[in-house]
Amino acid sequence: MSERHRAEHATAAPAPTGPEHSWHAGSPDSAGPGRAAGWTRRGVLGSAAALGAGALTACGGNAPSDRGGGSGDRTFTLYWNAGHGYAAYTKLIEKFESDHGITVNWQKFQWPDLQTKLAADMQSGQVADLVEDDGSGWPLSYAATGDAYPLDEFIAADGEKIGYPNDWQANALRNSRYQGKTYGIPLHLTCNLLFYNKTMFAAAGIEAPPSTWDEFLAVARKLTRGDQYGVALNSDPGYLSPWMLQNGVQYWDPSTRKVMTPVPKAIEAMRFQHDLIYRYKVSPAPSATADYEGPEKLFVAKRAAMMISGPWDFVPIKKTAPDLDYGLALPLKRDVRATNFAGSGVFIPAKARHKDLAWDLIKRLTSLSVENAVTRETGVTMPRKTWAKQSWVQQDKQVGAVARALAYGTSWPNGIDATGKAPQLDDALRSAYQSTIVKNGDPAAAVRNFRAAAAKLVGG
Amino acid sequence: MASPERNRNDRLFPGARGVGYAVVLVVCVLTVIPLAYMISLSLQSDGEILAGNPVLWPAHLHFDNYQRLFDEVPYARFFVNSVVMAGTITVAHLVLDPLAGYAFAKFSFPFKRTLFIAVLATLMVPFFVRMIPVYVLFSQLGWLNSYQGLVVPFLCDAYGIFLMRQFLAALPDELIDAGRADGAGELRIFVRIVLPQAKPALAVLALFTFVFQWNNFLWPLLATSTTDMRTMPVGLTMFNQEFFTQWNLTAAGAVVLFVPTAVLFFFTQRYLVRGVALTGLK
Amino acid sequence: MVATVERAPALAPVRRRAPMRRRQARTALAFLAPALLFFALLFFYPLLRELYTSLFSGPRADVYAGVGNYTKAFGDPVARHAFWVTVQYGLGVVVGAIALGLVLAVILNQRMRGRSVFRGILLVPYLTSIAIVGLLWRNILDPDTGILNRVLHSLGLPTQNLLAQHPLATLVGVAIWQQVGYTTVLFLAGLQGIPELYYEAAEVDGASVWRRFRHVTLPLLAPTTLFVSVIGVISAMQEFALPYLVTQGGPDNASDLYVYQVWKTAFGFRDFGYASALSYLLLIVILVLSLVQLKVGSRGES
Repeated sequence: MSERHRAEHATAAPAPTGPEHSWHAGSPDSAGPGRAAGWTRRGVLGSAAALGAGALTACGGNAPSDRGGGSGDRTFTLYWNAGHGYAAYTKLIEKFESDHGITVNWQKFQWPDLQTKLAADMQSGQVADLVEDDGSGWPLSYAATGDAYPLDEFIAADGEKIGYPNDWQANALRNSRYQGKTYGIPLHLTCNLLFYNKTMFAAAGIEAPPSTWDEFLAVARKLTRGDQYGVALNSDPGYLSPWMLQNGVQYWDPSTRKVMTPVPKAIEAMRFQHDLIYRYKVSPAPSATADYEGPEKLFVAKRAAMMISGPWDFVPIKKTAPDLDYGLALPLKRDVRATNFAGSGVFIPAKARHKDLAWDLIKRLTSLSVENAVTRETGVTMPRKTWAKQSWVQQDKQVGAVARALAYGTSWPNGIDATGKAPQLDDALRSAYQSTIVKNGDPAAAVRNFRAAAAKLVGG
Repeated sequence: MASPERNRNDRLFPGARGVGYAVVLVVCVLTVIPLAYMISLSLQSDGEILAGNPVLWPAHLHFDNYQRLFDEVPYARFFVNSVVMAGTITVAHLVLDPLAGYAFAKFSFPFKRTLFIAVLATLMVPFFVRMIPVYVLFSQLGWLNSYQGLVVPFLCDAYGIFLMRQFLAALPDELIDAGRADGAGELRIFVRIVLPQAKPALAVLALFTFVFQWNNFLWPLLATSTTDMRTMPVGLTMFNQEFFTQWNLTAAGAVVLFVPTAVLFFFTQRYLVRGVALTGLK
Repeated sequence: MVATVERAPALAPVRRRAPMRRRQARTALAFLAPALLFFALLFFYPLLRELYTSLFSGPRADVYAGVGNYTKAFGDPVARHAFWVTVQYGLGVVVGAIALGLVLAVILNQRMRGRSVFRGILLVPYLTSIAIVGLLWRNILDPDTGILNRVLHSLGLPTQNLLAQHPLATLVGVAIWQQVGYTTVLFLAGLQGIPELYYEAAEVDGASVWRRFRHVTLPLLAPTTLFVSVIGVISAMQEFALPYLVTQGGPDNASDLYVYQVWKTAFGFRDFGYASALSYLLLIVILVLSLVQLKVGSRGES
């Protein structure tokens, strides 16, 4: 479930406020539940940092952290995503406890809450021993502030034995290296690919799913009629990335500190999506709400024949429309066949008390047998190359499709978190994307505006 | 709302009354429909919710959605947490606000005016401004994710103090002096003589405090981090994240959150309306 | 502390004024102590802390920046945009809720069947958690899967995509929906405070109904109106939940209300010092508005 909250989906940080006791002030308590879809893909960084960061520093002193933040000598504290408490991990942790004669304090949070917790802990110095991150690059941003622990010594000692980094999909490692050191290890690895409704394809006489943009457009036009759309695009800017990557666009170029290069290609990719909606009218205009499940709803309702999504939608689809006959196709191709990675990782906070134990747990968590157990249990896909090559993985209808797509995966953020400005950039990107895809504005202007905003934030 | 009736005077044109009726009726219908739809959503089957073609009313009433709410999510726990939070804060208000209001209403002491202004000034401070420093303070105290962490930021407020002061100022001094003449201690006078006289004001205070803490969202979201400490409005959020497509369950959760306040309101409307009017205009 | 007070000598003879006064002061302070302690620790101390933090920058807010965050705010197009969007939002909500609330109050002030039922119904959204309000309207208004378009479609009417085309106005509408019951009740209270005498005098003068409304009702409701508008603007300035829940400030920042922007700055961008400065600027605006209300209000009374 919480695959929903992985990287390219925004994670909402703790939320809102309204007038306190506004019963005398005009409006009732304004505040409400938040959605997983925040304003940035990885915006979460902030929640925490903001809270703990400034604030605690200002307080000064070595404050005790809140409950559970610290780790006693025989207690190993593990922060985890609330959706990832799989049986395979439970078993593994029990073994880990008895092997080392310790107790694991396994705390599970939604991504945004985890972030909040984390930053408060970082500032107080009472930190967890091992933390799961959302795979978008948190370790980098903590590395930049000295709050993450470099793993290089561990890797030098054990790397060969466990196959790190050679057995990991190379592109998946970009979000864990900062100034030549490694700060995180990928744990799960997923990606976007093409979902298509087989029944609707058959009814329209289309035999194979599209492979290129041109085929995609042709198929989408053929499938659009009346109340039914060929495709449903998402207003979340996370879904911009595969199109950009397919057109050879890089989000972040660390050497030049520029974003969205080459520019004409970026404009072209932006325009293609804009045109799908406003020129060819093969996709409804995405709703501008905090939702990002709009396309999934339309796909399930058989009102859209295709969507770009990932394994996080398997369970919802199965739950809501078990009879839906849909297929998964490789990511589309323009200049290249490409898609963006998502998933999760693990890292060790700089002030963790049990770093050796944490490393031991990382080794266990990322072993092939555990990866296999988790995949069998949940369908989550994994970063090891040997995992992807296994025949049972390849032959599984859904897992196999994702595993094949992973071969075309790359990291869209590309280490941009190291700038410390990733959340602001994502926010600017959201604005730009919506200005054209929701508000029917000029795609070229959207790209230019975003680049101008980015230049202000990170130079280049 | 017993007031001189003015319908005779306010008739703008023949049939004005009918038009007025119609206007009110239309607004009331527009007010009710979304809430009724929420109830409808809460009774729909998964299929109806997910068909992508929303329906106004379910073919069959799925009351089991409410059961699922408690089976699939620890909604009972959220409910208890909400009761504890709103209940404790209400009790605290009922003690602290009248105490302070009474002091301001019936006693003279140094810096009274200054202190009163200082208290009133807090009315102008949005929660947002003090939220983060309070969070940090509680983090240092180890109070996050605990009941005291949920409750302490709202133990009393200037509004309640002001309300009690206004109300108690009208209380005859003779009552208090009679108590003193009988040799009663000040606290005894307060508890036995003053508080019983203030029942209507206390009722207003209790209702408002409870309802608004019941609906409070931001602070519980920020101050709690584990499922067993979540309150209902926050639980509703988690829902909407975890079961994002299952609007029937989200709506059922909303109804469970909403119904107690609605019921409370209808039984105490008279007080609440008076409270809104009183508090609003003073 | 309270216990000590109770054990204090019970009765002071009326003649001995000074000890009596001292005893009074002691009692009062004991009664006040918990509240004062609360305000000191949970209002004034946090306010000072926030002010202090607003002088720093960086992800840990540990780089001294002086008033840099404040000067930055005045030149920051994003903050300024958020401020003006918020002013528009506030005016929209206040004008709408006042106009509709006044009409409803005048109607409900007459003798009519079911008056208190109507009044009660109108107040229900006001007592509903904003969490519910936000989620519910987002669901209803969704252009593809919401009930509103379904109904419009089945009636053969054009469908809407309000949240994309008029996001701010839509949020204003939702806020009015929620708050109009509250303003109605306030105006009802104000109307009942107008002595019947004035109307009788006006009637004797042969004033038309409209003239009576224009020259008696409206002027005498002025204090209520002022109160409702200032309070309304202040609370609208602090609106967070609607943009957060319904639009995420979008599309393209069209509904990026101020507090939502502050929240993004703090929790999203880790710029806690700047967020603190933005909070303080909002606090100043609210203080000024409150003082204006106090000033005008007290002039009205004298």
